[in-house]
Amino acid sequence: MIGHSRRPTHGGTGAGSSRVLRVALPVLATVAIVAPLGWLWQTSRVPAVYSVMEMGYLDYGGGAVSDPGGGGHGGHMEGRMPGHQVAPSRRVTDMVADPARPADVRVELVTQQQSLTVGGRSVSGFTVNGTSPGPQIRAMEGQLIEVHLRNESVADGVTLHWHGVDVPNAMDGAAGVTQDAVPVGGEFTYRFVADQAGSYWYHSHQVSNPQVAGGLLGSFVVTPKSGIAQQVDVSAVAHTYGGLRTINGKAEDLRVPARPGQRVRVRVTNTDNGPMQVWTSGPYRLLATDGTDVHQPSQVSGRSVTLTAGGRADLEVSVPSDGSAVRMQLSKATAVIIGPPGADVPVPPQPAEELDLLTYGTPAPVDFDPTHPTRRFDYRIGRRPGFVKGRPGMWWSINGRLFPHVPMYVVREGDVVVIHIDNHSGEIHPMHLHGHHAVVLARNGVAATGSPWWIDSLNVSPNESYDIAFVANNPGIWMDHCHNLKHAAQGMIAHLIYEGFDTPYRIAGPADNQPE
Amino acid sequence: MRTAYKVLAYLVAAEVAVQAMVMVWGIAGLGKWVDSGGVLDNAVFEEAIGNGGMPFPEIAGLVVHGINGTFVIPLIALLLLIVSFFTKVRGAIKWAAIVFALVVAQGQIGFLGHEFPLAGALHGLNALVLFGMAIYAGRRLRAEAAPAAVEHEQASTATPA
Repeated sequence: MIGHSRRPTHGGTGAGSSRVLRVALPVLATVAIVAPLGWLWQTSRVPAVYSVMEMGYLDYGGGAVSDPGGGGHGGHMEGRMPGHQVAPSRRVTDMVADPARPADVRVELVTQQQSLTVGGRSVSGFTVNGTSPGPQIRAMEGQLIEVHLRNESVADGVTLHWHGVDVPNAMDGAAGVTQDAVPVGGEFTYRFVADQAGSYWYHSHQVSNPQVAGGLLGSFVVTPKSGIAQQVDVSAVAHTYGGLRTINGKAEDLRVPARPGQRVRVRVTNTDNGPMQVWTSGPYRLLATDGTDVHQPSQVSGRSVTLTAGGRADLEVSVPSDGSAVRMQLSKATAVIIGPPGADVPVPPQPAEELDLLTYGTPAPVDFDPTHPTRRFDYRIGRRPGFVKGRPGMWWSINGRLFPHVPMYVVREGDVVVIHIDNHSGEIHPMHLHGHHAVVLARNGVAATGSPWWIDSLNVSPNESYDIAFVANNPGIWMDHCHNLKHAAQGMIAHLIYEGFDTPYRIAGPADNQPE
Repeated sequence: MRTAYKVLAYLVAAEVAVQAMVMVWGIAGLGKWVDSGGVLDNAVFEEAIGNGGMPFPEIAGLVVHGINGTFVIPLIALLLLIVSFFTKVRGAIKWAAIVFALVVAQGQIGFLGHEFPLAGALHGLNALVLFGMAIYAGRRLRAEAAPAAVEHEQASTATPA
């Protein structure tokens, strides 16, 4: 058996050092594998309580470099020392609507955690004033809205975020950033001027992934002072409860009575985590995207509208004069049927092509010059193995980095900002910047030639890139995240901060704030 | 350590089999659900993966496939690699390293399939290679183990000096 030995036999000390090596090498090899993993794990952890101002690294986008603000200072988690305070610190809580101005519209909202009955099935969820979706809030352009929120029974606490409404920062409803989550029995009053007519929605931004999926949301519509050109104005809130697709909370088609020849405006809101295709049995016009009118929208046939998660699309259809109805499919599963009672039309086949908003409508001037931006940022989305909050996995990266080591985009009021978004992560991301509307300049390097295409929620498909521009005209601290809220919970959250701003609120902490 | 090596190697192979089974189970359930009028789009899919909204029960197969492939199998393969350092069997580290590399490649190819579906075909083929390699590693260790034990004994007796 000795003949089977595969190594020359050493005598004396040679065998001794060889034995040491035989023990040490495997241990060293193990350490060489485990130690880097341990280091990655350690650096991925976030403090038990932290300010978003401590997250990541400061990105000035080629603009003026300064300290962003007061107590926090970006970069604590990167091990850097706080910078000098160059500007007097302003707090997000200072950014409110005129407190002296009386409200034009007052709404009381009560949130509850309860089971919902959807399509005959019982699913756990949330209600606002006893229903999901909650009541629609309507106001006229220029009115001051005052919403008094009381959390009756949502155990994790709630907030209300006004999705797509460029509210003052303190009213944004981002838990741990602009306010503390409202605990059971707690209250909060939101006040803001609805100065842009359009279709919006509200939803909780505390533990938002399960709370929005569970239905803590509702529609918010601001009508123009001049009124609308359509005779019928209807909202269709699409939501998936426990795998069941619904419109306005019902797992069935929505029937809208309308007379032949009438023009009907359908405000479609996608409250899910993925994009939805919308198409009709007859021609339609896309009047508005994300609460902003399309300039001179033409009639469209044979193309679907891609409505990204969190996005809104206002479509106009005309009821046929022959007494039949129009079907507007919100995905293949549900539809809005518009026409005389009892009238119907067959389900129209899903168009193979999508309406391209890059070329839809006709050009019109925008109120700023995006060709000479003061700041240019990159928001490059990738996916790679690593650790986030101590958990291993395949995580979303922003500019190659994982949460919380992601960019803090620093701007100054009045800046013209261009953000280049690209997606090499293999999945779709509906990107949502709070507090601002941006105009799409280009997709995949091809310039937009249609109507100014304003967005607050942008569908970025794999291998797509977008250049968007906006004016930094709403000071504060704003989340800039993926509205597939599961992705946000997995770390797809960056922030846009105005220099000089700070927040008194903390992630986690006594209020247990968890915006994602 | 050798027993641990064998168990881990065979566990990788078993997990690959589980991956194939749950995936086809899930796809079969999807087919049946669609046949009965169900509509799967991104919203329903996103609701199901991670948020637990189950339009049809077999979608659990796809969820299990994702968790297994992202977390469980890489962890087993990593443990196999670490254990291989201590087995003192010729070739053991090499086989474990190949299994680990195939697991890493399998995950990357799988995620690539989200973007380029043709990568999914490679994912299926690589699964067979990985399965075979994991079985091979377990069997070769058994074949090589006996002589190595003798070598170890001999080294021990030669130590006092």
